[in-house]
Amino acid sequence: MIKIVKRDQPSRAIFFFTPVLAIILTLVAGGLIFFILGFKPFEALKFFFIVPIADKYGFSELLLKATPLCLIAIGLSFCFKSNNWNIGAEGQLTFGAIVSGGVALLFYEQEGFYILPTVILAGAIGGMLYASIPAILKTYFNTNEILVSLMLVYVSKLILDYLVVGPWSNPEGFNFPETRQFSDSAKLPLLFEGLRIHAGIFLALAAVVISWFIFYKTYLGFQMKVSGFSLKTAKYAGYKGKKMIILVFLISGACAGLAGVGEITGPIGQLHREISPDYGFTAIIVAFLGRLHPVGIIFASLVVAITYLGAETAQIFMQIPKYTGQVFQGMILFFLLASDYLLFFKIKFIGLKK
Amino acid sequence: MNTNLKISNVTKIYPGCVANDNISLEFNSGKIYALLGENGAGKSTLVKILSGVIIPDEGKIYLNENYLKLNSPLDAKKNDIGMVFQHFNLFETLSVFENLIIDSDEQRESVREKIDAIMKKYNFSIDLDIPVLNLSAGQKQKVEIIRCLIRSPKVLIMDEPTSVLTEQETSELFLSLKKFSDEGILIIYITHKLKEVMQLCDEVAVMRRGKLVSVSEIKNENIESLANKMVGQNLKTIKKKKAKTSSDQLIKITNLNFTSEDPFETNLTDINFSVNRGECLGIAGISGNGQSELFQVLSGEIISEKNSIEFNNNYIGDLSPQERREYLMAFSPEDRLEQAAIPQMKIFENVALNNFKSSNFFNNGLINENKIKEHSKKIISDFNVNTDNIELKSQFLSGGNLQKLIIGRELITSPDLLICFNPTWGLDVGAINYIHETLIKINEQNKSIILISTDTDELLKLSDKISVIHKGKLSKIMNSEEVTSEKLGILMGGAN
Repeated sequence: MIKIVKRDQPSRAIFFFTPVLAIILTLVAGGLIFFILGFKPFEALKFFFIVPIADKYGFSELLLKATPLCLIAIGLSFCFKSNNWNIGAEGQLTFGAIVSGGVALLFYEQEGFYILPTVILAGAIGGMLYASIPAILKTYFNTNEILVSLMLVYVSKLILDYLVVGPWSNPEGFNFPETRQFSDSAKLPLLFEGLRIHAGIFLALAAVVISWFIFYKTYLGFQMKVSGFSLKTAKYAGYKGKKMIILVFLISGACAGLAGVGEITGPIGQLHREISPDYGFTAIIVAFLGRLHPVGIIFASLVVAITYLGAETAQIFMQIPKYTGQVFQGMILFFLLASDYLLFFKIKFIGLKK
Repeated sequence: MNTNLKISNVTKIYPGCVANDNISLEFNSGKIYALLGENGAGKSTLVKILSGVIIPDEGKIYLNENYLKLNSPLDAKKNDIGMVFQHFNLFETLSVFENLIIDSDEQRESVREKIDAIMKKYNFSIDLDIPVLNLSAGQKQKVEIIRCLIRSPKVLIMDEPTSVLTEQETSELFLSLKKFSDEGILIIYITHKLKEVMQLCDEVAVMRRGKLVSVSEIKNENIESLANKMVGQNLKTIKKKKAKTSSDQLIKITNLNFTSEDPFETNLTDINFSVNRGECLGIAGISGNGQSELFQVLSGEIISEKNSIEFNNNYIGDLSPQERREYLMAFSPEDRLEQAAIPQMKIFENVALNNFKSSNFFNNGLINENKIKEHSKKIISDFNVNTDNIELKSQFLSGGNLQKLIIGRELITSPDLLICFNPTWGLDVGAINYIHETLIKINEQNKSIILISTDTDELLKLSDKISVIHKGKLSKIMNSEEVTSEKLGILMGGAN
């Protein structure tokens, strides 16, 4: 007999165990899917999760993909922790990239130490500006931030589209939808010869440390925690709710904007149509898989980054479409939400009475 | 026809609490039975078992010697057990008639005839075609009762039916219940109000902490004997010493209005009152008449015009709760678990919710955990909170201990004015006594209290002056010696 019993209190161990369980279940289900498709499950999973990161280059690619995921997820955790549902990080990333790309183009073929910081700052400001739209509409006009932030994603993508085929397109570019290459002074330096991993990873690590400090050591973090549990209590305690909503959106937008900067000023070095393979959406999964905890988010971003790489390897070696990666991301979120049931209930096995 | 309902050895266990411990009871029609007990005694669990909402771990229910398998509320209905819950289960925007036919599969016309017959028989007058939201609480309850009567039940269970009624509505309800009983419906009346039991019932079963303590006939009992059975100890009665109150005005509310955008909130119109130092102003009323809005306006959760609130010679109507705390006001809201405290957070974190400058809980935006913990320990020992672990999540505190923590947290600033809203709601007698003593002590220290409460006895015990709120308007302020609970009841019902 199996009996489901309510837990008196969600245990801390279970809190961190369920993400691991979700990953295990994803692997099992993934293996099953491969089997049904006619592949050997273990071999396929090996191509998906081990082969891509088996060498130095693969590992650098892993960090390259994990960097924007981690950065955005850290920003989102500010929103999610305080009960604000910003799901438009993809748009904030895109707009951040547009602004920083515009600034980088202003410095076309110029050199100078001040250029890169300016470009980075422009990206952060771009992301903040774009995130401020749902925040202000929410605080002053009571709109739903989920809808507004989501719809703005498509607006930003269309703006980018217009710019790279229109006014900002490379005059010598044979009408390819892309801008000129940024000057070297506007690019994030690569860390190792021959590898694509770049200095953007330090931005992500800095975000992890700063967010940990804010969450657990500051009054702002405390207010966010209270608002996350109960907006009624936050109001009663006298916290300035509107200010905080705007602030967390700005932080979140800045992080997404920085991720956008990393994408265009890293190895690519120009604006083009597809700067992000939906990092902004995938980061939502990362944030929850990492339990909105800075350290958890580091691990989660690495795990989810593998699905991007694995999908590419699988496409090359097994002729499976790379969208399999999204299937895996979806499964992780699905199993995570399902296994969160265990936070509040436990399953008891009761021996059959003879 | 005679109806016999038997509860046999019913046990229901929740994690950490035995809600019903081997309860056996027998009821026969023709009598009105009271099921008496404090909050948390297990009465509600028992009636939920009878109405199929909860399935017991052990034990059986028999109706006229037939074993009833009650797996859902539907089973109870099929077996002619009707139940009127404490909180109404009505769709506010649907008409009375629509609410009544919602679970019926009969023809609309025939149900309508049935309803008309019932209303005529018991002298109910309710317009069937207006939306339920336009009804008074008493009328809503009648709708619930009619819903049961349509099915001509053998058993009618009433769970704390008078908590939202005025005195007048209560006596009407009692007349109806007696009529039902005369017609052979078995009535089980759940309450913690002793006066009602004495007035209405024939037999009384007392529960305490999940156990059945006694079953007896009303004629052999009196209020004191029932109270002692219910509480399990001899009640100590607290009396407030009538201190001479000063004429030194502390807070003055002038022409305060609040219009809500939310149709389920109550507007406040033209509120005027003042409280002197050392005084307790009680505000009585049936819940939902603007108490919550008044509390929020006073605490600063709802901002009003600057000049409408004058506190200690400052105009503070436009200040936030945090800013008002700096002027030495303190607030204890009604909802302990969703507003006054956060159950998932630790005790010391909950203490930090009352943040005022001189506390130094937060310096330059950083958390000063040592300071908060130091404060928390002091509150726990000063206010008798039954734990020594300030790292404990506050969900593990009982209601009484949590309320002590909240009151302690609010009083640590030694405020000039404490505003509390139903401070003893749902607490056991021991905790109620402690809170009442604390409130009296505050007045003795020449500090003031605004006590918004739906408990008339509490108000009469603690207040120096009393006003009644009805539909967002305050009655004139009366000296509490001149007031009786009957008079309050009339005002609470909206009469002048």
